[in-house]
Amino acid sequence: MMRALGLAGLLFAVAALALTAGQVHLDAAALWQGITGGDGPGALTIRILRGPRVAVGLGAGAALGLSGAIFQSLLRNPLASPDVMGFTAGSGLAILASITAGLSLPMPLVAAAGGLATAVLVAILARPPGGARGVEGTPALTLVLVGIGVGFTTASVGSFLMTRLSGPQAAEAHRWLAGSLSARDWGHGLQIALIGGLFALVLVPQVRALKLLELGPELAAGLGLRVRRARVLLAATGVGLAAAAVAVVGPVAFVALMAPPVGARLSGARGAGGRLAAAAAAGAIIVVLADLVARASLPGLQLPIGVMTGILGAPYLLWRLSREMERGEL
Amino acid sequence: MTRWGLLIGVLAAVVLLSLTVGVRPVSLAEAWRALTAPDLTNPDHIVVLSIRLPRIVAGLICGAALGTAGMAMQVLTRNPLADPGVLGVNAGAAFAVTLGSLLLQRADAGFLAYLAFPGAAAATVAVFSLGGGFRGDASPVRLTLAGAALNALLVSLVSAVVLMRGDTLEVVRFWVVGSLADAGARPIAAMAMAAGGGLALLFALAPRIESLALGAALSRGLGTHPGRVQAGVLVSVTLLTGAAVALAGPIAFLGLMAPPIARKIVGAALRPGLVASALLGAVVLLFADTLGRLVFAPAEIRAGVMTALVGGPAFVLIARRLSPGGTS
Repeated sequence: MMRALGLAGLLFAVAALALTAGQVHLDAAALWQGITGGDGPGALTIRILRGPRVAVGLGAGAALGLSGAIFQSLLRNPLASPDVMGFTAGSGLAILASITAGLSLPMPLVAAAGGLATAVLVAILARPPGGARGVEGTPALTLVLVGIGVGFTTASVGSFLMTRLSGPQAAEAHRWLAGSLSARDWGHGLQIALIGGLFALVLVPQVRALKLLELGPELAAGLGLRVRRARVLLAATGVGLAAAAVAVVGPVAFVALMAPPVGARLSGARGAGGRLAAAAAAGAIIVVLADLVARASLPGLQLPIGVMTGILGAPYLLWRLSREMERGEL
Repeated sequence: MTRWGLLIGVLAAVVLLSLTVGVRPVSLAEAWRALTAPDLTNPDHIVVLSIRLPRIVAGLICGAALGTAGMAMQVLTRNPLADPGVLGVNAGAAFAVTLGSLLLQRADAGFLAYLAFPGAAAATVAVFSLGGGFRGDASPVRLTLAGAALNALLVSLVSAVVLMRGDTLEVVRFWVVGSLADAGARPIAAMAMAAGGGLALLFALAPRIESLALGAALSRGLGTHPGRVQAGVLVSVTLLTGAAVALAGPIAFLGLMAPPIARKIVGAALRPGLVASALLGAVVLLFADTLGRLVFAPAEIRAGVMTALVGGPAFVLIARRLSPGGTS
């Protein structure tokens, strides 16, 4: 319990730091003044510049963390997450395709459609040969490998589309594909709050199913769970959460992969519900912190947050891999 | 040896196809005249000599290099998913080229090409040590995941470099999609020598690689030094991949597709397998390049995209067969 409070405190501290630190440094008084509706530099920074940015980062990070936690529990594999399995890449490709085609469709819908289509594609492609499917379902590592293959193909189609764009359009698309929090307004914040919140609500009644599935599919079925249906619903919720985040910040790499174990470690949560909440908090912390480091570490140069999480997350994936290996799981 | 005849025949057919078709079709007879008695006032001859011929030569070198590099990696690691693109070696070379172009403020292809080698070397060593390749116990899943992670890291770094300097995007976005279109401007002769050196080394090492594939303990008993053989393979993979990336940019999946087909055609022995893999790699790349020129003519689909469209599904197919139980 204490550690859970500590995690919440950390989240609050990171958000406050993200609001105060940067090119223009604010002290606590100016921050408070800005929040409570006074005038001055604090108000401008909070309301126009950093406020929406931090809000969007918190929301998107929480959605990605939840999505990762769902997949890692569902597939009982710490390497399973929507980014490693190629879903976020699919969302990114869908958005890039709509930019190239000059369509003015709402980005969240495009991202969700792309992510969902990729998830279905990976699930179908990874089905074991012969179509024999027991309760055990498709092995998680096959899903991961197939997802990597699909991800490579999407990436190369994406870089092909990049060559079809004009110079400025390409720069815009590239910035977008790397994942970025710059120039986000309260509209984006509202969007991730509504859509992400909706999926989080949908998740609440499914926590019990997730808990049962962690015992293993046979046992869950024995306890009266309709395994196949529960799996499909949970996976759809996970894809929806990831797509909601991609729609506002772009395909930010590795947050969904890292957040669940980091959250569990920090909060010490054991139960399924507690770990989901911890993953959401950890995802929000990772995104806001990465964005802070990205914009404050090199003055005058705003690296997109996705570059930052990629540079941090790839070594994490490699470390995780060596851990899994030592435990003899791979 | 009808199988060899068939392979060489297919390659010859693809070369002729690539020489004659395109936005400006050239008859076979005219192409032959361009090669034997070039007339520099004839536009057909200019197209053949200065555009199509360099593409074909670069495609042959690059395809052969990637096909054999893939074969060497697959045999050494016993991993059917091993491929210079999938394991991040291409990305390493691309990163070195991007970073070099930024730091040294030079964008001439002849110079940038040489940066591909240190990049490929560093990525090869990194992915093998991360994936456990040196201990001889790398499972396919582990090595592939290590490659994917390395790839993601390098792509992020390339992104960071690009975003620091907007003008590098103009170099990079055309460069990261492998293509033979700019082959004429790149140092073909030097890269042919590098790839040839890598291939020769691989050929010389072939019996020892085969004994190493039996397992480290057994091969030591047969008098092979695993460390030296692995170092040799790394050097040749670096030479082959570096040359390929320098000529055509990072082309993924060729090294994945060519070896299994080569084995089906000529059997499991490594030396004939390498030759067949080289021929197949060249066939696939040249065919992809030619097809890419035709589909949306006069626009081009770059060869790297064409190989990915075929190679991605091939990767998925192999991955499905690989891990029915979750482990290799």
